[in-house]
Amino acid sequence: MDQAALRQALRQWVLAHAGTPTAEAVRDRTPLISSRLITSLQVLDLVLFIEELRGAPIDVRMLRADTFRDIDTICATFFAGGAR
Amino acid sequence: MDPLTETAQRLSALSRRHYRSAYATVDWPLTVEQQQWFTSPELISIFGTPYWESLDEPQRMRLSFWEAANFFSINIHGERALLEGLAHRLYQPGLEDVTEYLHHFLDEENKHSVWFGTFCLRYAGRVYPDRKVPFPAAFGPTEEEFLFFARAAVFEEIVDRHNAAMAADERLVPVARQINALHHADETRHLVFGRQLVAELWRRHRPTWSPETVTAVRHYLASYLVGTWREYYNPSVYLDAGLTDPWVTAREAWDHPVTRQHRQLFSRTCVRFLLDAGILDETPTL
Repeated sequence: MDQAALRQALRQWVLAHAGTPTAEAVRDRTPLISSRLITSLQVLDLVLFIEELRGAPIDVRMLRADTFRDIDTICATFFAGGAR
Repeated sequence: MDPLTETAQRLSALSRRHYRSAYATVDWPLTVEQQQWFTSPELISIFGTPYWESLDEPQRMRLSFWEAANFFSINIHGERALLEGLAHRLYQPGLEDVTEYLHHFLDEENKHSVWFGTFCLRYAGRVYPDRKVPFPAAFGPTEEEFLFFARAAVFEEIVDRHNAAMAADERLVPVARQINALHHADETRHLVFGRQLVAELWRRHRPTWSPETVTAVRHYLASYLVGTWREYYNPSVYLDAGLTDPWVTAREAWDHPVTRQHRQLFSRTCVRFLLDAGILDETPTL
């Protein structure tokens, strides 16, 4: 999966789970946590989705609130080596 | 004496009567053979789905071993958060009358973690990591206090349904059955205390919260119940058990109507309590 498809998949996930009305509201730099688009309890689902895209479990030491700040940060943190 | 203090004193006396060492209560075999039942088949996360039907008996037993390791890992992480929170609340204002019982609660939770941790490290060689992400507190102090004990009650209610069922399941390998039985014996007291304290904290704090806060607390707790169940569908378990495409398995097993029915059944007592106490105003979608 290339970077564009990866970002699109993450945006779709956020849209589906945050109940945000429009796609324009979720961009790659849109704050996900501070704007409360995603709650702490939803992050577990997001972690599983990221693992599915990676095809491998995440090292839990990387699981901090700031690594889910926005889609850019998620890509830089968890997909530096690309997605499967 | 108020009813909560009376309950706490009665439970403290029971805890003293049933006091035991964490190191002399479980008969630990040196090794275990994975071709046995470690989790009741009906409680395995994919039971009733096409994934379950595709496995033969030895594969199901192998999965039951890793599911037990996951169940005990979930307990370890849940109890670690509980231990931290209980220690923090010892002798805190408003909880002085129940602090004696909080000491027993702490002591017993620590012992449970010894049992769970020993099983995981000795036989599975690992504790499954906790995927929960720590976030800064989103609520005020009274909401946080209520939610701490409400989370503990929800978590323990779900766990105890599993413990009670597996303690009585003669198909299980003795060490797994014994851990479930021992945990259930202590949790019975914790559940009594948890329900009474949670209802009391709700009565005490709710009138001081705005309608928006009450809605947010209810939403959080309902989401917590769902999140608690989510951890039972662990892709790492399916990976270890040799299932193909573990993340798809987790997602599809979670969405399957049979597993939804199981979650509803095993959450019924917990949800009934929350509804009867007025804490939730509708049944969460599981």
